[in-house]
Amino acid sequence: MAVLPCGVHSANYSQDKAFIRTPVQWVCFIAFLLIVFAGPFFFPSRMLGIIIITGITIIAVVGLQITVGLTGQINLGQSAFMGMGAFTTATLAANFNLPFWLSIPAGGIGGALLGAIFGIPALRVKGFYLALTSLAAQILFPLLITRMPSKWFGGPNGLGLAPAKIGGFTLQSDQSLYYLIMGVTVIMLFFAFNLTRSRVGRALMAVRDNDIVAEIMGVNLFTYKTLAFAIGSLYAGIAGGLWAYYLRYVMAEQFNLWSSVWYLGMIIVGGVGSILGAILGTVFLRALQELITIAGPWFGQVFPQAGGEALWYSGMNIVLGGVIILFLIFEPKGLAHRWNVLKHSFRIWPYPYL
Amino acid sequence: MIDFLQYLLNGILIGLLYAIIALAFIVIYRAGRILNLAQGEVVVFGGFVVWTFIAGASFPLWIALPLSLIAVVVLGFMVEKGFFRPMIGQSIFANIMITVGLMVLMRGLMIVFWGASARPFPVIFSLKPIIFGPFSFTRSIFIGAIISLAVFIVMNWIFEKTRWGLGLSTVAENHVVAQSMGISVKRSIGIAWALGFIVSTLAAITFLSGQSINFLVSEIGLRALPVVLLGGLESIWGAPLAGILIGVGEALAAAYLDKYTMGAASEAFPFIIMLVILLIRPQGIFGWKIIERV
Repeated sequence: MAVLPCGVHSANYSQDKAFIRTPVQWVCFIAFLLIVFAGPFFFPSRMLGIIIITGITIIAVVGLQITVGLTGQINLGQSAFMGMGAFTTATLAANFNLPFWLSIPAGGIGGALLGAIFGIPALRVKGFYLALTSLAAQILFPLLITRMPSKWFGGPNGLGLAPAKIGGFTLQSDQSLYYLIMGVTVIMLFFAFNLTRSRVGRALMAVRDNDIVAEIMGVNLFTYKTLAFAIGSLYAGIAGGLWAYYLRYVMAEQFNLWSSVWYLGMIIVGGVGSILGAILGTVFLRALQELITIAGPWFGQVFPQAGGEALWYSGMNIVLGGVIILFLIFEPKGLAHRWNVLKHSFRIWPYPYL
Repeated sequence: MIDFLQYLLNGILIGLLYAIIALAFIVIYRAGRILNLAQGEVVVFGGFVVWTFIAGASFPLWIALPLSLIAVVVLGFMVEKGFFRPMIGQSIFANIMITVGLMVLMRGLMIVFWGASARPFPVIFSLKPIIFGPFSFTRSIFIGAIISLAVFIVMNWIFEKTRWGLGLSTVAENHVVAQSMGISVKRSIGIAWALGFIVSTLAAITFLSGQSINFLVSEIGLRALPVVLLGGLESIWGAPLAGILIGVGEALAAAYLDKYTMGAASEAFPFIIMLVILLIRPQGIFGWKIIERV
């Protein structure tokens, strides 16, 4: 925790617990929210689409951060859990005509159930073995979902769904979906930030730091390891539900191993164990993705032997792999740590140390 | 009945090919305690190196094969030194993620170096079918199975009988103990990676001979994971046994169950086995059970 600005001290517990401590922080926070929610009025539509996808990704990555960063349970299958949420939402909306404010939470629960099932082995195995469990989930997911009766999940063709409706208003344009998705993102982030300082969050961190010691301290390992997977994939499931309403078409191929790897990369870039890190990492890597998409055509003239779609794909892979490796070797604490250092040195300036 | 035996035979031969890729996992894990998720990419990379020497530079086979083995040994040492040496003593998560990063990076680099389209891999063993009574199978798979058995015998000898190999096993047991017995942990892990790259390249030669090669072939690495786990991550002889079990199971699932499941049964079978093993006996059939002390 970085030091507080000069002259801020707490007189009671509610002050001590508050996230936002100074008037300047309040101003910055409200200004940020205003900019985010006034976005559709001045962002061009392409930018709006990028922000929407980033918002959905942030939810999934924050969930992954809770499983991996906070609890230390390795999960290579976040994308499959997101897919489970998307398919649950889609089938409830398409086959049972559930409104979106019921089907998206139901998608979250669908994801959480699948995550909890694949989290059960975490009690017996850890490390590499646990990574393999979630990898198996990721590989089995598309195989199973496409072989279900096509009335359920659309079979190999995927499933389309009608736009979300509330009252007489249809959430079809990017603008209206932007408000829905940003609203859900803010709520999910609020819960995630508060989870880290709650009793449950502390128990999860105890499991991460040393699970045997945590058990001796009275943390029930089965409950909390399964809970870590359930919460993480609840986030994934809700992200999947939003994804289903944004694209209005879900296919098993959208939720592949590579997206799971991207999500893990976002955690590493942002900083393992920090919710803020998950946000920073997602924004950083999403920006990088967009940059590659723009720079791709120029790159194609320099290396002509790898053309077209493959070129874009290879550029993405090299950047993602390179970024993961470089951050692991040179800055394992990620961008969140850099940000805290920056804030710290700003506050104690002009003194070099405190 | 004849059909059933034919499926069984094909399953065994395919299983031995899975087993040689599994061996590459095991060789690296035995020393570094790193499960290299990039194994499939390493196999394909080795395959591309062989392709470059034979088809690209058109060297004769007896020059090309030693040259490519030397090239991959150098590559193995480089990968270890560049990516895995800084990770000694880091968390398991960091170690897993660096292999995942390597997997993604190698995919990208392979497309840049060799392009994305499939290329024919040179025919190293002839593709003529061997007909034995009522059974028939391609010669390359048969020779591949024999080569993998030979590789197993050699690797087993290295790990059980030579000074080097025993040192590697000590490093696998405990880095600190190995260091205090005078075994260089860093050098051992380097050797393990070089051995792993050699085995991967041999796997590529046997598996790809006469087939086509592109970066997507690296899926084979993930398909070999259940074999590694069933046999046990530390056991060299576990791999062929597990390979045969999974190969036969997959072949039978493909023959009898695939028509009811649109081809999913044979693809899902190894991974369902993997989940079952992880739940029942995580160390596999012959793996070491590590007892945790506080």
